[in-house]
This record gives sequence, C-alpha cells and structure tokens, in this order.
Amino acid sequence: MNCQQAEEHFSAHFEDTLDYQTLQGFEEHLAACEACQQEYDRFQESVKAVQQLPQIEPSPYFMPTLLQRISEERSEIKGIKGTTATGWKQLVDVFRRPVWAFSGILALILAVTGTYLYQDGFLFDRDADSTVVTPASQKVQVATSPVVTRRAVGDGSQRLPGDVTRPSVRPLQQHYILKQVSYTNASTRGGL
Amino acid sequence: MLDLDDELMERYQKGDEGAFTLLVRRHQQPLINFIARFINDRDNAEDLAQETFIRMFKAAHRYKPGRAQFKTWMYHIAKNLCKNEIRNRERRDKYRVDNVVNSGSEGHNDTEEIDLIANAPANPAFQPEVELERKELRNALQKAIAELPEQYRLPLVLRDLQGLSYDEISEVLELRSGTTKSRINRARLMLKDKLKPFI
Ligand SMILES: [Zn+2]
Repeated sequence: MNCQQAEEHFSAHFEDTLDYQTLQGFEEHLAACEACQQEYDRFQESVKAVQQLPQIEPSPYFMPTLLQRISEERSEIKGIKGTTATGWKQLVDVFRRPVWAFSGILALILAVTGTYLYQDGFLFDRDADSTVVTPASQKVQVATSPVVTRRAVGDGSQRLPGDVTRPSVRPLQQHYILKQVSYTNASTRGGL
Repeated sequence: MLDLDDELMERYQKGDEGAFTLLVRRHQQPLINFIARFINDRDNAEDLAQETFIRMFKAAHRYKPGRAQFKTWMYHIAKNLCKNEIRNRERRDKYRVDNVVNSGSEGHNDTEEIDLIANAPANPAFQPEVELERKELRNALQKAIAELPEQYRLPLVLRDLQGLSYDEISEVLELRSGTTKSRINRARLMLKDKLKPFI
C-alpha cells in the first residue's frame, strides 16, 4: 500500500469498516510512514471537531409559524373537499323530496320517449337538425353546468356587441371539453 | 416493521392531524441544522425548513410507509430547495457584481460571515482563553465547510453533522454507495487540509 492508497482508507479505518486484509496493509503502511501517521492523526482530529459542532436551536417563532401555515393549508384542502361534498349532497337531497322525484321520473320517461320517436323520424325532419340552434337551447345547456357557464360567458365577451351570428351547439360542446381537459392538467401540475 | 416516523405518517393518513405536528417536532432541529450548514445561512434556513415541511404535508397522502424513510424523503426535498436557493443567490450576486462593475464604483467583498453558533448554549465552566480558541476553531470549521464544493459538502454534512448512514445518504443524494463513501472521504481530507493552521 502506498501513501495515496492509505489516504483513501482513512474514513473506513476511522469508522472501523475495513476488511482484515486491507486493515493489515493500512496499519503496516502507517507504522512505516511518518507522514501518513501525522496526516491520519490530523484527519481524525478534524472529523471529530466537525462532529462536535454545536447544534443550532430553532427560533421560538419556527413552530408557531409553521403550525399556522399548516392549518391554512389544511383548511384550504378541506374547503375544496367541503364544497364538492355539499354540492353533491344538495343535489341528492333535492331528489329525496317526493315532488321532485316524481318530476324527475316523468322527465326521464318523456326524454326516453322523445328520443325514441325522434330517432325514428316521427316528429322531426332529421336534415333540419344542424340548422336548428335556438338561443333557448344554449341557455338550457348553460344552466346545466357551471363550467360551461364560465366558458360561455368568456366566449360572449370575445364577440363583438353587434355580432348576431351564434355558434352551433356542437362547436361549443367541443370547446368546452377541450378547455376542461386543459384546466385539469393545470391544476395537477402544481404538485410536487 | 414500521419505525416511529412511519407509524406517525400512517396515523396522519388515517386522520390523526396531530401526528404530523409530532413528526415536525421530531425533525425540525436536524432539518434546520442541515439547511443552515448547507447554505451557510441561519435565517433563510428556517424559511426553507418551513417550505420543506409544507411540501411534505401537501404530499403526505402519497407517502407509502416502509418504502422510503420519512427522514431521507425530508432531506431529499430540503436538498433540492437548498440547491435552488444557492442558484438564485449566485444569480443575485452575479447581477450585483455586474452592476458594480458597470457603474464603475469600487468593488468590495460584502460576503457576510454568518455566525451559525451564536445561539449555542453557554459553557458552564467558562474559561476565556479556551473559549476563544474553541470559537476560532468553530469559525474556521464553519468557513471550511462552507467553502467545500457542493458535491462534497452535501454528503459531509449529512454524515458528520446529521449522522445519517451511508445507505441513507446514498438514497437522499441518489448516488451509488461507492461514490458516497469516496466523496465523504475526499470531503474530510479537504477539511483536514483547510484546517491545517488550527489542528
Ligand atoms: Zn504514507
């Protein structure tokens, strides 16, 4: 073992993790080399000095400030969970009332019958489908989803006041889906 | 078998909100010490330690007890925050130096000597000369650690000041165990040379 090799084993010898053969080689070298002996003594001294550096105490503000921040984060998380839970609960509660439950079932029956008749071409001319876009149909859609409301308002503001052309239902739906996907991406990207 | 940290994390995940506070109490001092030694700045150390805990709190539901240690996870997050802080500081310093050079005013070295041990508990058997010598050595040590290149300073601080095992350090720094060992040995050799006037 030469001086450079001995130096490479300083830490392992200090921490007593050398295997028997290396240990023998290391100790033989040190016994014969005064320079390495001195360097190893100084090495041990300086490692011990580092290990004995005093610990810094946290300031008295650290814990209270952190707990405050954590409780803010906690109520933020709870706030988000809370609103979704209440919204869903309210919707379910509405349909627990007999009158609303009855109306719901009636509406469902009407919708199913309507679709059935419509598909068979009983009531409407199918070619007219793409051209029939009324403001009312948009309003209905707007009312069903809060996300659509936000997007629809945004679209409205971009249009000129005198512009009377209205987009068809289909492009609006596509627009809404795309926007919603990108919004979801944005909200998850903020994590760790 | 789960260690106490994992048990506390599991409790927190099951709704025991006090468990996370206990985890913070257990680790606040080692974390602040690690950050302060790594960035050589006590005041910012507390801010970064807070940020570390907040990030852990936000991601706590994703933590899988037994797979990674709470401690190594904490140091890993803190290490990344510290590296960002050091980069930002270097950028700020460069901007400041550039401005000084451009404005033609006299350059001066305004790197502050921050006393990380100013709040250390007083020695009951106070002897002025011994204390002065000790303080000189501590200051020299502090300076020597701060001057080590980052890739040597990080494992040295984790080993000799935080007391992590070689395996834990390898996990925090994402290094192979051989690399961790040789970097720690190299860092100690560098310190020994820097401390020549004192030891
Ligand atoms: Zn030698």
